[in-house]
Amino acid sequence: MSPELIELRDSARQVLGAGGLSADESKTWSQALELGWLLVAVPEGLGGLGQGLAGASAFYAEFGRSLNAAPYVPAMLGIDAVCHAARADRANWLERLTTRDFVTASLGDARLAITNMSGGKPTLRGTVSAVPSADRAAHVLVCSADEACVALVPMAQAGVERTSRPTWDATRRLFDLRFTDVEIDSDLILASGSEAQALSRRLATHRDFALASDAVGGASAVLDMTIEYLQTRRQFGRPLALFQALKHRCADLKAQVCAAEALLLDSLSRVGEALETVDAETLGRGAKFFACSVYARVAEEALQLHGGIGMTAEHTCHRYLKRALLDEQLGRGDRYALDIADAFLGGL
Amino acid sequence: MTMTTGDPETLRAQVRAWLQQNVPHDWRAAMTGTGQDSFVRAQREWFAKLVKAGYATTHWPAGWPGGGRSLAEQRVIYEEVARADAPRLILFFVALYHAACTLIEWGSEEQKQQHLPDILEGRIWCQGFSEPNAGSDLASVRTRAERRGDRYVINGQKTWSTLAQFADHCLLLVRTDSSGPPQAGLTYLLLDMRSKGVSVRPIAQITGDDEFAEIFFDDVEVPVSDRIGDEGQGWAVAQSTLASERGLTLVELTLRMRYGLARIASLMRERGVSDDPALRSDLGRLIPKVNAACALADRYLLKRIEGTEAPGDASIVKLNYARTLREFTLLGLRISGLQGQYREDFTRGGSQETGNWAVDFMNSYNWSIAGGSDEIQRNIIAERMLGMPREPKNWQLPK
Repeated sequence: MSPELIELRDSARQVLGAGGLSADESKTWSQALELGWLLVAVPEGLGGLGQGLAGASAFYAEFGRSLNAAPYVPAMLGIDAVCHAARADRANWLERLTTRDFVTASLGDARLAITNMSGGKPTLRGTVSAVPSADRAAHVLVCSADEACVALVPMAQAGVERTSRPTWDATRRLFDLRFTDVEIDSDLILASGSEAQALSRRLATHRDFALASDAVGGASAVLDMTIEYLQTRRQFGRPLALFQALKHRCADLKAQVCAAEALLLDSLSRVGEALETVDAETLGRGAKFFACSVYARVAEEALQLHGGIGMTAEHTCHRYLKRALLDEQLGRGDRYALDIADAFLGGL
Repeated sequence: MTMTTGDPETLRAQVRAWLQQNVPHDWRAAMTGTGQDSFVRAQREWFAKLVKAGYATTHWPAGWPGGGRSLAEQRVIYEEVARADAPRLILFFVALYHAACTLIEWGSEEQKQQHLPDILEGRIWCQGFSEPNAGSDLASVRTRAERRGDRYVINGQKTWSTLAQFADHCLLLVRTDSSGPPQAGLTYLLLDMRSKGVSVRPIAQITGDDEFAEIFFDDVEVPVSDRIGDEGQGWAVAQSTLASERGLTLVELTLRMRYGLARIASLMRERGVSDDPALRSDLGRLIPKVNAACALADRYLLKRIEGTEAPGDASIVKLNYARTLREFTLLGLRISGLQGQYREDFTRGGSQETGNWAVDFMNSYNWSIAGGSDEIQRNIIAERMLGMPREPKNWQLPK
């Protein structure tokens, strides 16, 4: 990490930390706009901070660490899409998206059909799930299943139907979006053809790295919290942290968190800014799958190690656990292990 | 001798070209099902080649042949050695790392001049630390050294000494004083294995091999001039011996494990189970762990280069490698099915992934037990990294 990025990250940690765990969505959102956090990955040439994906990752990890509820990841995906679309009005869009309007995007693996791409009136059909804070969004970013089109769709447009899907993870507000013959405004197409393929892949890989970073931040925080609890809680006349059975479990969890973090940082440095390549896709999937598995296992153990207090709604344990379990299912969910094997066996 | 400073990529190209020309192409076949004699011969030949090229001693200080390489350069060389699937210098490991690094850090000028050139000539060393009752608890070493004039007289027993049956010298940790705290009474000696009263008995292992040995000492005399450090300083000297291998070895071994993934793929093809979704899923779970083990080893080395290593960092790397290697070899064994349960010849001098999965699996315990067991690593991580309290010291056997 560059000294500049470390400084940015530390200030984000301070602001997010001061807001407390699971801080209110709209409050953090206005802070993010005000402090320029949405500009982190925007290239300097476009008026951003030029910290790239590694910079964005550091922020995602901070949001994960503090269980923050603001829809920072989908907003960053929307901004990344605009940055990498060859459009004359890009500067205008970037100004809107980094200072006022919120574009959301699915954190799942959408299956959308766009017909009539060549016939003049491209039409969108299908359902996407896991769209955060869609009720606050001006637009939603969509990628067609055949990777032939990436576009923005106004949430207010006829044929866009929104269903709230409350999740066990209370730090996210997810929606399903159903598109019934929604005509796409040609002005809102960010990419089509081979450019759309590259952009779709870029965005999927960006999403995977974002989820991996959220998981690394969360896993690290929930483990720290657990160790602190074991240090203070006394039973049998001694701190729980003195029991070797518990120490060894914490050491194993620490080893896993360090491994997930090392894989994430190593993969980020290998990818650089070339997110649209097949190599980047493979690295992103590996980092996402591993980090989210580790987060879920660490959060699962954390609750057990807290004992009864961990079962209370008041304690933070369950919030980490629920966010971890949701993170694990986001992106390509259960398919990562096979994806990784396919890429490996196919690449030999 | 090849010596480059500056651009690591120039060095990489040089090393790669040298390895292409010099790694014996059929070494795996030649070392499979072979006895220890031809293994020792092949190791000597490979060692001599590496020494001549200056690649065996890159971690030695400047002024010694091959020495004076920066950690960044050493990393490049290790990466290339792993990539070329060159034989591992198992027979010379203790000499090149443990003995050499201990001599360099603690040895007198005479001791360095006496032993370091001999190591380059192919002198073999073994380590005499562990005892039947001093494994993880190394401070409880009981082998006695009694001072008689200008000699120490040694009585006792060492165990788990790798390839001691071939060794010329031994790094010996002995007790010279039992009165104070256990660490304070230890002394470090260099032993000539041909000394009168030394006997070596190889230990039959679960693989059928006998890579370790016990060493017995019956009134063995060692000149006081062969002591490293002062009397009672043995614990501190032993710590540098144990620290000498950390870092680079695991960069090499984790990389070898990553290249070894291709063996799992070819095994799946051979067994006709390439399309088995359960096995593919297991492989997909393993791959990121292997990559994470590589990333950890690599980043740990970078920390050492920058001087930002923290307590517990090395334990995290080793624990992850040991756990992942166990899982890796076990997956190979499972994919092998019943076939994997039939005895087959094993390969000597390879890395941990030879393709004889039962033997590879059994040998994976080397990494979770030797050099500080997983349990010791967990203690280090919990106590020195996570700040959890140490065990109380005043435990008494219940009456």
